Amino acid sequence: MNGAYLTRRLLYGIPLVLGVTFISFLLMVYFGPDKTYELIGKNPTAEQITEVRHALGYDRPFLLRYGEYLRELITLDLGISDSNGEPVSSILKRTLPVSIALVVPGFVLGNLLGLGLGLLAAWYRGKWLDKLVMSASVVGMSISFLVIIIGLQILLCTPYGLNLFPVRGWQVVDPGSYFYYVAVPTLALILVTLGYNTRFYRAVMADEIERDHIRTLRAYGARPAEILFKHVLKNSLIPVLTRIMFSVPFVLISGSLLLESYFGIPGVGLVTFNAITSGDQPILKAVVGLTGVLFVVALTINDILYGVVDPRVTKS
Amino acid sequence: MTTPALKVTNLSVWFGNGSSRLTVVDQISFSINAGDAAGLVGESGCGKTMTAMAILGLLPESGVHASSDGIEINGRDISTLNAAQRRAVLGRDIAMIFQQPATALDPVFTMGQQISAVYRRHAGGSKQHARNNMLQALESVGFSDADDIAASYPHELSGGMRQLAMIAMATVCKPAVIIADEPTTALDNSTRALILDRLGHLQKLHRTAILFISHDLAVVRQICRDVMVMYCGRLMETTDCQSLFAHARHPYSAGLLSCIPQLGNTRPPPIKSIPGQIPAPADLPPGCHFAPRCNRAEAQCKASVPELDYDNGRGAACFRPL
Amino acid sequence: MTRDTWQKLKSDRYGMAGLIVVMIFALVALLVWSGLLGQGWSEVTGNRFESISSKHLFGTNLLGQDILQRTLFGTATAFEVGLVVTVCSTLLGSVLGGLAGWYAHGWLDEVIQWLKGVLDSIPFYLFAAAVAFALQGNPWAMHLAMIVTFWTTTARIIRGEVMRIKQREFIEATRAIGLPGLTTVFRHVLPNTYHILLVQGTIVFVAAINTEVILSFLGLGIKDGVSWGLMLAESSQEVLAGHFGNFFAAGASLFLLLMGFNLLADALQDALDTRRARI
Repeated sequence: MNGAYLTRRLLYGIPLVLGVTFISFLLMVYFGPDKTYELIGKNPTAEQITEVRHALGYDRPFLLRYGEYLRELITLDLGISDSNGEPVSSILKRTLPVSIALVVPGFVLGNLLGLGLGLLAAWYRGKWLDKLVMSASVVGMSISFLVIIIGLQILLCTPYGLNLFPVRGWQVVDPGSYFYYVAVPTLALILVTLGYNTRFYRAVMADEIERDHIRTLRAYGARPAEILFKHVLKNSLIPVLTRIMFSVPFVLISGSLLLESYFGIPGVGLVTFNAITSGDQPILKAVVGLTGVLFVVALTINDILYGVVDPRVTKS
Repeated sequence: MTTPALKVTNLSVWFGNGSSRLTVVDQISFSINAGDAAGLVGESGCGKTMTAMAILGLLPESGVHASSDGIEINGRDISTLNAAQRRAVLGRDIAMIFQQPATALDPVFTMGQQISAVYRRHAGGSKQHARNNMLQALESVGFSDADDIAASYPHELSGGMRQLAMIAMATVCKPAVIIADEPTTALDNSTRALILDRLGHLQKLHRTAILFISHDLAVVRQICRDVMVMYCGRLMETTDCQSLFAHARHPYSAGLLSCIPQLGNTRPPPIKSIPGQIPAPADLPPGCHFAPRCNRAEAQCKASVPELDYDNGRGAACFRPL
Repeated sequence: MTRDTWQKLKSDRYGMAGLIVVMIFALVALLVWSGLLGQGWSEVTGNRFESISSKHLFGTNLLGQDILQRTLFGTATAFEVGLVVTVCSTLLGSVLGGLAGWYAHGWLDEVIQWLKGVLDSIPFYLFAAAVAFALQGNPWAMHLAMIVTFWTTTARIIRGEVMRIKQREFIEATRAIGLPGLTTVFRHVLPNTYHILLVQGTIVFVAAINTEVILSFLGLGIKDGVSWGLMLAESSQEVLAGHFGNFFAAGASLFLLLMGFNLLADALQDALDTRRARI
């Protein structure tokens, strides 16, 4: 694992970050809502208009405004939310932990289960177990996220079903209440992602099992468990890791967006959702910019992990 | 009469079933004594590798079936073992060396880890004990820097070194039988000589029986005492190498021999002098498989299958041997 | 599609079932577009939340509108969104992917790759919201957002294929003749990749429908007309009060159509995969 490799991967991320922030700037700020008239009131005079525009920075050159945006992102000087006047950074500090606590169990379990099922299906490829797992996966993939959420709500949270869990809310004070509020969203997340995960992992594992070195292992008397868990898994680590790393930003943002707006959980997703519907620019600017950066970070970490996991990579 | 190290009786391998059955290996039988090396020679697709896989019991895979009346290692029939018993045998009593060591070895584990794993799997014991045996095995194939090799990944070694390491893996448990499937085909001449030399040395050291599979008669001659010529899933001739090269009895063997360039160049012989083509498994001719291409064929050859006809320990499956 | 691909496809029972389901839905969509079905989706023809009856096969919703009518119209919406997004993103992806592959490792390729990376990094729903803002609530904002982000997978596939085909000799031959690079790309290389595009197309269609559902829930979906997404969004509150009409109608339709597409996509992939036996 040498420094040159590391530096190369890091440098590669910079144009991406620039690109992402540029697009988010373009969309959110440049093409975003024009706040001039909100701040002025009725019958503004020409001078008042120019004054306000100047205060808002609308008359400054494009690149300068973009640079300003970048600076805000880097220094995390994210401004103040339009809707309640709270500083954006404190909003994020408050809501991010909630989102993470919400999404992590489902994400981890969804992937672990997917790996396990994929492994099973790949080992018994073509047999009934494989077909069962694959059929279930296709069905899982065909049910819309929304349908799953609503369906689970009906089943678990209403008197028409088991009525075990709350429909919405997040009053978490101890592990017990954590479980109470996170159960249904976690289940939803698992059900949505399981189908996709299983199919992907199965394909990767099935490919790996075909390889010559697995045949060698068999020829030397290795047990199936050893073959699967020691060799197939380790050799599949790269595509598996890539997938996991790439899906982290998305699950965190999109998953939390939907789950929180649906279950009324005060995390980043809900805040973003409200920002979308109310046009709260500072928040949107911050979230989009930061997620873009998050993605690039994930990409870079992923590349670095390649080097750690596969001894063949760093030699090039 | 000593018990042969490896004895195969009526081994068959086929695809599909019933009327759509494609026979790839057709009731072949042979035996190899301890300390002897026998070559299994034939062109690509004649069923050599399938034979090896079937002996190890690694078939059936999807659609491929195998059966035999016995596969005995030192008298013990391994074809009737259950999965767990077979796993105990593979690598310990019989080991295989594959053609492409680059892909046959696990790229994310070091050679040391892979070889030690094989040893520990069968002999148990501590990691240190396994490591010692592993290093010993590496040294016995000729590595002076066994420690370095043990710490290397397969892709860090050259083709020849990989194959030597593979041989070390095969011999670490000192098996009674080794099957070498085209071990030198992917290597250049000098490396090939080295591999063959090392293999021969180990064979004498441990009195291992070797089944050496190859399409190259010249290579087989360098290391094997006996040779079996295979064509379309059947054995055409079995004899010792000297006799074969001096006077082949089966027309096919004679044909193969005549294709070897005289100057000792060991490139695989193209079969130019035998007219016709190898039939596909689905189009096997009745009677002797070689009859359509044989210039000594008669009506009898097309009607019935000649058995291996032994004479002074040499056999040819032919009604009109040379 | 070649003869044996079609044969292989026909022998796959599930794939055929999927195809039939998709075609039935497509037929419904056509009928709606031509004004023969589902025209009464916005009329109030009954009381609120009527249950299933002969007059209203799926019951009515909050406003007394007939759910069956709305479901039928929703089919048309789903296909409209799906087709527009699939066709446009496939076109865009093919062109950009083709260019990137042909000029592989050149500056154009690097730019397109960078663009792909950037677009993949932006969380989709936020992007859709941003586009909706930027376009001041234009009804095509949703489609645009999807097209602009969905082309990347197609482009990646096409780029790979182009790079692979570029190696083959007949392309060298056309270059030797002196055909300009771009024409070669479009005329010779792309027709060889249509099979992959077909499979990817079905996947994009599914993604588009799924996305529309969620966008509608977020309030960023279609503006006039009705879609299953809108119906599901309505139902989210309704089910808590015990009114399941919208939920079942839209949910079931969605499931059937998606299932059909997924089965079809799988079968297509298997039939077109000449390299090895069914996975």
